[in-house]
Amino acid sequence: MNCTEFQEILPEVFEAGRTAEQAAHLKSCPRCSGLLADLDLIAREARQLQELAEPSPRVWNSIEIELRREGVIHELPGGPVMAPRARGWNLGAWLAPVAALALVAFAIGVYQRGWLSPQSAPQLTATAPAQISNPQPAKSQPANNEDQQLLAAVASRSPAMRAQYASNLQNVNAYIRDAEESAQADPNDEEAQQIVMDAYEQRAAVYEMALDRSLP
Amino acid sequence: MTDAKKLQGDKLSEADAIERAKQGDAEAFQLLYSLHKRRVYSLCLRMTANTAEAEDLTQEAFLQLFRKIATFRGESAFSTWLHRMAVNVVLMQLRKKSLPVVPLDETLESEEEAPKKELGAPDPVLAGSIDRLRLQRAVDALPPGYRRIFVLHDVEGYEHNEIAAMVGCSIGNSKSQLHKARMKLRESLKTSRAEKATKPW
Repeated sequence: MNCTEFQEILPEVFEAGRTAEQAAHLKSCPRCSGLLADLDLIAREARQLQELAEPSPRVWNSIEIELRREGVIHELPGGPVMAPRARGWNLGAWLAPVAALALVAFAIGVYQRGWLSPQSAPQLTATAPAQISNPQPAKSQPANNEDQQLLAAVASRSPAMRAQYASNLQNVNAYIRDAEESAQADPNDEEAQQIVMDAYEQRAAVYEMALDRSLP
Repeated sequence: MTDAKKLQGDKLSEADAIERAKQGDAEAFQLLYSLHKRRVYSLCLRMTANTAEAEDLTQEAFLQLFRKIATFRGESAFSTWLHRMAVNVVLMQLRKKSLPVVPLDETLESEEEAPKKELGAPDPVLAGSIDRLRLQRAVDALPPGYRRIFVLHDVEGYEHNEIAAMVGCSIGNSKSQLHKARMKLRESLKTSRAEKATKPW
Protein backbone atom coordinates (compact mmCIF):
# COMPACT_ATOMS: atom_id res chain seq x y z
CA MET A 1 0.00 0.00 0.00
CA ASN A 2 1.31 3.44 -0.87
CA CYS A 3 0.39 6.90 0.45
CA THR A 4 -2.15 7.63 -2.28
CA GLU A 5 -4.01 4.41 -1.63
CA PHE A 6 -3.92 4.95 2.11
CA GLN A 7 -5.20 8.52 1.95
CA GLU A 8 -8.03 7.55 -0.34
CA ILE A 9 -9.44 5.22 2.28
CA LEU A 10 -8.54 7.46 5.23
CA PRO A 11 -12.17 8.38 6.12
CA GLU A 12 -12.92 4.68 6.52
CA VAL A 13 -9.79 4.17 8.61
CA PHE A 14 -11.24 6.69 11.05
CA GLU A 15 -14.62 5.07 11.19
CA ALA A 16 -13.88 1.38 11.00
CA GLY A 17 -10.37 1.09 12.35
CA ARG A 18 -7.34 -0.10 10.39
CA THR A 19 -6.45 -3.37 8.74
CA ALA A 20 -3.09 -5.04 9.16
CA GLU A 21 -1.99 -3.69 5.79
CA GLN A 22 -2.96 -0.14 6.71
CA ALA A 23 -1.27 -0.46 10.08
CA ALA A 24 1.90 -1.64 8.40
CA HIS A 25 1.83 1.36 6.07
CA LEU A 26 1.33 3.76 8.97
CA LYS A 27 4.26 2.20 10.80
CA SER A 28 6.57 2.71 7.85
CA CYS A 29 5.28 6.13 6.68
CA PRO A 30 5.80 9.14 8.96
CA ARG A 31 3.88 11.35 6.54
CA CYS A 32 0.66 9.32 6.68
CA SER A 33 1.00 8.67 10.39
CA GLY A 34 1.51 12.41 10.93
CA LEU A 35 -1.58 13.16 8.88
CA LEU A 36 -3.65 10.65 10.83
CA ALA A 37 -2.41 12.06 14.13
CA ASP A 38 -3.30 15.61 13.05
CA LEU A 39 -6.81 14.70 11.95
CA ASP A 40 -7.33 12.79 15.15
CA LEU A 41 -6.11 15.78 17.15
CA ILE A 42 -8.49 18.12 15.32
CA ALA A 43 -11.41 15.79 16.00
CA ARG A 44 -10.52 15.61 19.70
CA GLU A 45 -9.95 19.32 20.13
CA ALA A 46 -13.22 20.15 18.38
CA ARG A 47 -15.11 18.98 21.46
CA GLN A 48 -13.59 21.89 23.33
CA LEU A 49 -15.60 24.24 21.13
CA GLN A 50 -18.85 22.83 22.41
CA GLU A 51 -19.54 25.46 25.06
CA LEU A 52 -17.18 28.25 24.24
CA ALA A 53 -19.59 31.12 23.86
CA GLU A 54 -22.41 32.71 25.81
CA PRO A 55 -25.38 34.62 24.39
CA SER A 56 -26.06 38.17 25.50
CA PRO A 57 -28.58 38.64 28.35
CA ARG A 58 -30.98 40.16 25.87
CA VAL A 59 -31.70 36.73 24.40
CA TRP A 60 -33.36 35.57 27.60
CA ASN A 61 -35.25 38.85 27.93
CA SER A 62 -36.72 38.35 24.46
CA ILE A 63 -37.62 34.76 25.20
CA GLU A 64 -39.37 35.69 28.43
CA ILE A 65 -41.30 38.52 26.85
CA GLU A 66 -42.48 36.26 24.04
CA LEU A 67 -43.44 33.46 26.43
CA ARG A 68 -45.42 35.88 28.56
CA ARG A 69 -47.11 37.29 25.49
CA GLU A 70 -48.10 33.80 24.38
CA GLY A 71 -49.25 32.84 27.86
CA VAL A 72 -46.70 30.03 28.19
CA ILE A 73 -45.34 31.76 31.29
CA HIS A 74 -48.14 32.60 33.66
CA GLU A 75 -48.01 35.69 35.78
CA LEU A 76 -47.32 34.48 39.28
CA PRO A 77 -47.33 36.59 42.40
CA GLY A 78 -43.76 37.59 43.10
CA GLY A 79 -42.57 36.35 39.74
CA PRO A 80 -39.50 37.84 38.12
CA VAL A 81 -39.72 41.05 36.20
CA MET A 82 -37.47 41.32 33.22
CA ALA A 83 -36.68 44.34 31.18
CA PRO A 84 -37.74 44.09 27.55
CA ARG A 85 -35.09 43.51 24.95
CA ALA A 86 -34.13 46.12 22.44
CA ARG A 87 -33.02 44.19 19.38
CA GLY A 88 -30.65 46.03 17.16
CA TRP A 89 -30.65 49.76 16.76
CA ASN A 90 -32.32 51.56 13.93
CA LEU A 91 -33.18 55.10 13.14
CA GLY A 92 -36.29 55.22 15.27
CA ALA A 93 -35.09 53.03 18.09
CA TRP A 94 -33.91 55.97 20.15
CA LEU A 95 -37.56 56.80 20.65
CA ALA A 96 -38.02 53.75 22.84
CA PRO A 97 -36.01 54.95 25.84
CA VAL A 98 -37.45 58.41 25.44
CA ALA A 99 -40.95 56.97 25.43
CA ALA A 100 -40.13 54.84 28.44
CA LEU A 101 -38.83 57.87 30.31
CA ALA A 102 -41.94 59.82 29.33
CA LEU A 103 -44.06 57.05 30.80
CA VAL A 104 -41.98 57.16 33.93
CA ALA A 105 -42.48 60.90 34.14
CA PHE A 106 -46.21 60.41 33.66
CA ALA A 107 -46.27 57.78 36.36
CA ILE A 108 -44.39 60.09 38.69
CA GLY A 109 -46.96 62.77 38.03
CA VAL A 110 -49.72 60.38 38.92
CA TYR A 111 -47.76 59.26 41.94
CA GLN A 112 -47.18 62.78 43.21
CA ARG A 113 -50.82 63.70 42.79
CA GLY A 114 -51.55 61.35 45.64
CA TRP A 115 -52.95 58.35 43.75
CA LEU A 116 -50.51 56.35 45.76
CA SER A 117 -49.83 56.62 49.42
CA PRO A 118 -48.85 60.26 49.92
CA GLN A 119 -46.26 59.61 52.59
CA SER A 120 -44.03 57.81 50.11
CA ALA A 121 -43.92 60.00 47.06
CA PRO A 122 -40.26 60.43 46.21
CA GLN A 123 -38.95 61.91 43.00
CA LEU A 124 -38.38 58.87 40.86
CA THR A 125 -36.78 58.83 37.50
CA ALA A 126 -34.58 56.41 35.67
CA THR A 127 -31.38 58.27 35.00
CA ALA A 128 -30.55 58.25 31.31
CA PRO A 129 -27.21 59.20 29.79
CA ALA A 130 -27.06 62.93 29.23
CA GLN A 131 -24.95 62.44 26.18
CA ILE A 132 -24.43 59.20 24.35
CA SER A 133 -20.97 60.07 23.24
CA ASN A 134 -19.89 60.83 26.77
CA PRO A 135 -21.32 58.29 29.16
CA GLN A 136 -19.01 59.02 32.10
CA PRO A 137 -21.49 61.03 34.19
CA ALA A 138 -23.85 58.13 34.62
CA LYS A 139 -21.02 55.83 35.60
CA SER A 140 -19.72 58.05 38.32
CA GLN A 141 -23.22 58.84 39.52
CA PRO A 142 -24.51 56.45 42.14
CA ALA A 143 -27.89 55.17 41.11
CA ASN A 144 -28.55 53.74 44.55
CA ASN A 145 -30.50 56.67 45.89
CA GLU A 146 -33.15 56.71 43.21
CA ASP A 147 -33.17 52.92 43.12
CA GLN A 148 -33.80 52.87 46.86
CA GLN A 149 -36.67 55.29 46.42
CA LEU A 150 -38.15 53.11 43.73
CA LEU A 151 -37.77 50.00 45.85
CA ALA A 152 -39.38 51.76 48.77
CA ALA A 153 -42.30 52.69 46.56
CA VAL A 154 -42.62 49.12 45.30
CA ALA A 155 -42.38 47.71 48.81
CA SER A 156 -45.06 50.06 50.07
CA ARG A 157 -47.53 48.63 47.57
CA SER A 158 -46.30 45.08 47.13
CA PRO A 159 -43.65 43.97 49.63
CA ALA A 160 -43.22 40.59 47.93
CA MET A 161 -42.04 42.25 44.73
CA ARG A 162 -39.26 44.26 46.30
CA ALA A 163 -36.62 41.54 46.10
CA GLN A 164 -37.36 40.90 42.44
CA TYR A 165 -37.02 44.55 41.55
CA ALA A 166 -33.87 44.88 43.61
CA SER A 167 -32.37 42.01 41.66
CA ASN A 168 -33.47 43.46 38.34
CA LEU A 169 -32.03 46.85 39.16
CA GLN A 170 -28.78 45.28 40.24
CA ASN A 171 -28.55 43.40 36.95
CA VAL A 172 -29.42 46.34 34.79
CA ASN A 173 -26.97 48.60 36.65
CA ALA A 174 -24.23 46.03 36.10
CA TYR A 175 -25.18 45.94 32.43
CA ILE A 176 -24.90 49.74 32.27
CA ARG A 177 -21.48 49.67 33.93
CA ASP A 178 -20.20 47.06 31.46
CA ALA A 179 -21.64 48.93 28.51
CA GLU A 180 -20.10 52.20 29.62
CA GLU A 181 -16.70 50.64 30.14
CA SER A 182 -16.80 49.28 26.60
CA ALA A 183 -17.90 52.64 25.23
CA GLN A 184 -15.17 54.45 27.10
CA ALA A 185 -12.54 52.01 25.89
CA ASP A 186 -13.34 52.97 22.32
CA PRO A 187 -15.31 56.23 22.05
CA ASN A 188 -15.56 55.79 18.27
CA ASP A 189 -17.29 52.44 18.56
CA GLU A 190 -20.87 53.19 17.53
CA GLU A 191 -22.09 49.76 18.51
CA ALA A 192 -20.78 50.25 22.03
CA GLN A 193 -22.61 53.57 22.24
CA GLN A 194 -25.79 51.88 21.14
CA ILE A 195 -25.36 49.23 23.78
CA VAL A 196 -25.11 51.98 26.38
CA MET A 197 -28.43 53.34 25.17
CA ASP A 198 -29.89 49.83 25.22
CA ALA A 199 -28.77 49.45 28.80
CA TYR A 200 -30.41 52.71 29.84
CA GLU A 201 -33.53 51.72 27.98
CA GLN A 202 -33.70 48.56 30.03
CA ARG A 203 -33.25 50.55 33.21
CA ALA A 204 -36.04 52.90 32.20
CA ALA A 205 -38.23 49.92 31.45
CA VAL A 206 -37.65 48.47 34.91
CA TYR A 207 -38.70 51.79 36.39
CA GLU A 208 -41.69 51.93 34.11
CA MET A 209 -42.86 48.46 35.11
CA ALA A 210 -42.21 49.09 38.79
CA LEU A 211 -44.26 52.24 38.80
CA ASP A 212 -46.91 50.70 36.62
CA ARG A 213 -47.33 47.83 39.06
CA SER A 214 -47.31 50.24 41.97
CA LEU A 215 -50.21 52.19 40.59
CA PRO A 216 -53.68 51.32 41.84
CA MET B 1 -20.48 30.45 40.38
CA THR B 2 -22.65 30.55 37.28
CA ASP B 3 -26.23 31.73 37.35
CA ALA B 4 -27.37 28.22 36.55
CA LYS B 5 -25.50 26.67 39.42
CA LYS B 6 -26.73 29.34 41.75
CA LEU B 7 -30.29 28.72 40.76
CA GLN B 8 -29.81 25.01 40.90
CA GLY B 9 -28.02 25.09 44.23
CA ASP B 10 -30.51 27.37 45.90
CA LYS B 11 -33.75 26.22 44.43
CA LEU B 12 -34.47 23.69 41.71
CA SER B 13 -33.01 20.64 40.06
CA GLU B 14 -33.44 20.30 36.34
CA ALA B 15 -36.16 17.68 36.77
CA ASP B 16 -38.05 19.93 39.17
CA ALA B 17 -37.61 22.85 36.82
CA ILE B 18 -39.08 20.87 33.92
CA GLU B 19 -42.15 20.01 35.99
CA ARG B 20 -42.57 23.58 37.15
CA ALA B 21 -42.03 24.93 33.66
CA LYS B 22 -44.92 22.75 32.52
CA GLN B 23 -47.03 24.77 34.96
CA GLY B 24 -45.79 28.04 33.45
CA ASP B 25 -43.32 29.02 36.16
CA ALA B 26 -41.02 31.76 34.86
CA GLU B 27 -38.20 30.94 37.25
CA ALA B 28 -38.15 27.35 36.05
CA PHE B 29 -37.93 28.46 32.45
CA GLN B 30 -35.04 30.74 33.34
CA LEU B 31 -33.21 27.94 35.10
CA LEU B 32 -33.56 25.63 32.12
CA TYR B 33 -32.35 28.40 29.86
CA SER B 34 -29.37 29.11 32.11
CA LEU B 35 -28.38 25.46 32.21
CA HIS B 36 -28.34 25.01 28.45
CA LYS B 37 -27.83 28.42 26.88
CA ARG B 38 -24.08 28.08 26.32
CA ARG B 39 -24.32 24.75 24.57
CA VAL B 40 -27.19 25.83 22.34
CA TYR B 41 -25.70 29.21 21.54
CA SER B 42 -22.30 27.72 20.81
CA LEU B 43 -23.90 25.23 18.45
CA CYS B 44 -25.75 28.02 16.63
CA LEU B 45 -22.63 30.17 16.51
CA ARG B 46 -20.45 27.36 15.14
CA MET B 47 -23.03 26.49 12.52
CA THR B 48 -23.65 30.04 11.32
CA ALA B 49 -20.39 31.84 12.19
CA ASN B 50 -22.52 34.91 12.87
CA THR B 51 -23.29 36.20 16.38
CA ALA B 52 -26.54 38.02 15.56
CA GLU B 53 -27.89 35.05 13.66
CA ALA B 54 -26.76 32.70 16.41
CA GLU B 55 -28.65 34.73 19.02
CA ASP B 56 -31.80 34.73 16.94
CA LEU B 57 -31.54 30.97 16.43
CA THR B 58 -30.87 30.40 20.13
CA GLN B 59 -33.97 32.38 20.92
CA GLU B 60 -36.02 30.43 18.40
CA ALA B 61 -34.74 27.07 19.64
CA PHE B 62 -35.62 27.83 23.25
CA LEU B 63 -39.01 29.24 22.28
CA GLN B 64 -39.85 26.07 20.38
CA LEU B 65 -38.68 23.99 23.31
CA PHE B 66 -40.64 25.92 25.90
CA ARG B 67 -43.80 25.90 23.81
CA LYS B 68 -43.59 22.11 23.64
CA ILE B 69 -42.31 21.45 27.12
CA ALA B 70 -45.66 20.06 28.25
CA THR B 71 -45.13 17.18 25.80
CA PHE B 72 -41.75 16.23 27.26
CA ARG B 73 -42.17 12.86 28.94
CA GLY B 74 -38.60 12.19 29.92
CA GLU B 75 -37.98 9.20 27.65
CA SER B 76 -34.81 10.89 26.45
CA ALA B 77 -32.51 13.26 28.28
CA PHE B 78 -33.81 16.80 28.30
CA SER B 79 -30.51 18.05 26.91
CA THR B 80 -30.70 15.58 24.01
CA TRP B 81 -34.20 16.76 23.23
CA LEU B 82 -33.19 20.39 23.38
CA HIS B 83 -30.05 20.02 21.31
CA ARG B 84 -31.80 18.05 18.63
CA MET B 85 -34.38 20.81 18.48
CA ALA B 86 -31.66 23.44 18.24
CA VAL B 87 -29.99 21.55 15.40
CA ASN B 88 -33.30 21.34 13.57
CA VAL B 89 -33.89 25.06 14.01
CA VAL B 90 -30.45 25.87 12.64
CA LEU B 91 -30.73 23.48 9.72
CA MET B 92 -34.17 24.85 8.86
CA GLN B 93 -32.79 28.36 8.91
CA LEU B 94 -29.87 27.39 6.71
CA ARG B 95 -32.25 25.76 4.26
CA LYS B 96 -34.30 28.95 4.17
CA LYS B 97 -31.18 30.82 3.26
CA SER B 98 -30.69 28.36 0.42
CA LEU B 99 -27.28 27.29 1.56
CA PRO B 100 -26.29 24.01 -0.05
CA VAL B 101 -27.27 21.41 2.52
CA VAL B 102 -27.56 18.69 -0.12
CA PRO B 103 -26.45 17.28 -2.40
CA LEU B 104 -23.10 17.18 -0.75
CA ASP B 105 -21.55 14.93 -3.35
CA GLU B 106 -21.99 17.64 -5.88
CA THR B 107 -20.48 20.30 -3.68
CA LEU B 108 -18.31 22.20 -6.03
CA GLU B 109 -14.84 22.90 -4.85
CA SER B 110 -12.47 25.19 -6.57
CA GLU B 111 -8.86 24.13 -6.63
CA GLU B 112 -8.23 26.82 -4.04
CA GLU B 113 -10.95 25.57 -1.70
CA ALA B 114 -10.12 21.90 -1.86
CA PRO B 115 -7.65 20.60 0.69
CA LYS B 116 -4.25 20.39 -0.90
CA LYS B 117 -2.97 16.96 -1.78
CA GLU B 118 0.76 17.07 -2.10
CA LEU B 119 1.55 13.47 -1.67
CA GLY B 120 5.24 13.74 -2.47
CA ALA B 121 5.95 16.92 -0.58
CA PRO B 122 7.17 17.25 3.00
CA ASP B 123 4.17 17.66 5.29
CA PRO B 124 4.75 19.31 8.66
CA VAL B 125 2.39 18.11 11.36
CA LEU B 126 0.56 20.09 14.02
CA ALA B 127 2.95 18.83 16.67
CA GLY B 128 0.27 17.54 18.97
CA SER B 129 -1.29 20.85 19.97
CA ILE B 130 -3.89 23.26 18.64
CA ASP B 131 -4.68 26.69 19.96
CA ARG B 132 -8.42 26.71 20.65
CA LEU B 133 -8.97 30.20 19.34
CA ARG B 134 -7.21 29.36 16.10
CA LEU B 135 -9.28 26.23 15.77
CA GLN B 136 -12.45 28.24 16.33
CA ARG B 137 -11.44 30.73 13.65
CA ALA B 138 -10.53 27.96 11.25
CA VAL B 139 -13.93 26.31 11.79
CA ASP B 140 -15.68 29.63 11.23
CA ALA B 141 -13.80 30.02 7.96
CA LEU B 142 -14.85 26.62 6.60
CA PRO B 143 -17.28 26.57 3.69
CA PRO B 144 -20.82 26.23 5.13
CA GLY B 145 -21.33 22.66 3.92
CA TYR B 146 -18.12 21.42 5.50
CA ARG B 147 -18.69 23.44 8.64
CA ARG B 148 -22.16 22.00 9.17
CA ILE B 149 -21.03 18.40 9.06
CA PHE B 150 -17.88 19.05 11.08
CA VAL B 151 -19.81 20.82 13.85
CA LEU B 152 -22.48 18.15 14.02
CA HIS B 153 -19.99 15.28 14.12
CA ASP B 154 -16.81 16.45 15.80
CA VAL B 155 -18.17 19.23 18.02
CA GLU B 156 -21.66 17.99 18.87
CA GLY B 157 -20.92 14.29 18.71
CA TYR B 158 -23.65 13.11 16.36
CA GLU B 159 -23.07 9.88 14.41
CA HIS B 160 -23.00 9.85 10.64
CA ASN B 161 -26.34 8.07 10.41
CA GLU B 162 -27.94 10.75 12.61
CA ILE B 163 -26.37 13.53 10.57
CA ALA B 164 -27.50 11.93 7.34
CA ALA B 165 -31.08 11.86 8.63
CA MET B 166 -30.99 15.41 9.96
CA VAL B 167 -29.28 17.00 7.00
CA GLY B 168 -30.86 14.80 4.36
CA CYS B 169 -27.78 13.27 2.78
CA SER B 170 -26.23 9.82 2.56
CA ILE B 171 -23.96 8.44 5.27
CA GLY B 172 -21.17 8.31 2.73
CA ASN B 173 -21.65 11.99 1.97
CA SER B 174 -21.44 12.82 5.63
CA LYS B 175 -18.18 10.89 6.03
CA SER B 176 -16.69 12.40 2.93
CA GLN B 177 -17.59 15.98 3.92
CA LEU B 178 -16.23 15.44 7.40
CA HIS B 179 -12.93 14.20 6.06
CA LYS B 180 -12.63 17.14 3.70
CA ALA B 181 -13.47 19.53 6.51
CA ARG B 182 -10.77 18.07 8.76
CA MET B 183 -8.24 18.20 5.93
CA LYS B 184 -9.08 21.81 5.27
CA LEU B 185 -8.84 22.66 8.94
CA ARG B 186 -5.43 21.01 9.09
CA GLU B 187 -4.21 23.11 6.19
CA SER B 188 -5.54 26.28 7.69
CA LEU B 189 -4.10 25.54 11.14
CA LYS B 190 -0.71 24.78 9.66
CA THR B 191 -0.82 28.01 7.68
CA SER B 192 -1.74 30.11 10.69
CA ARG B 193 0.98 28.39 12.73
CA ALA B 194 3.54 29.15 10.04
CA GLU B 195 2.42 32.78 9.87
CA LYS B 196 2.71 33.08 13.64
CA ALA B 197 6.20 31.59 13.52
CA THR B 198 7.40 34.13 10.94
CA LYS B 199 6.20 37.16 12.92
CA PRO B 200 9.13 39.05 14.43
CA TRP B 201 7.42 39.48 17.82
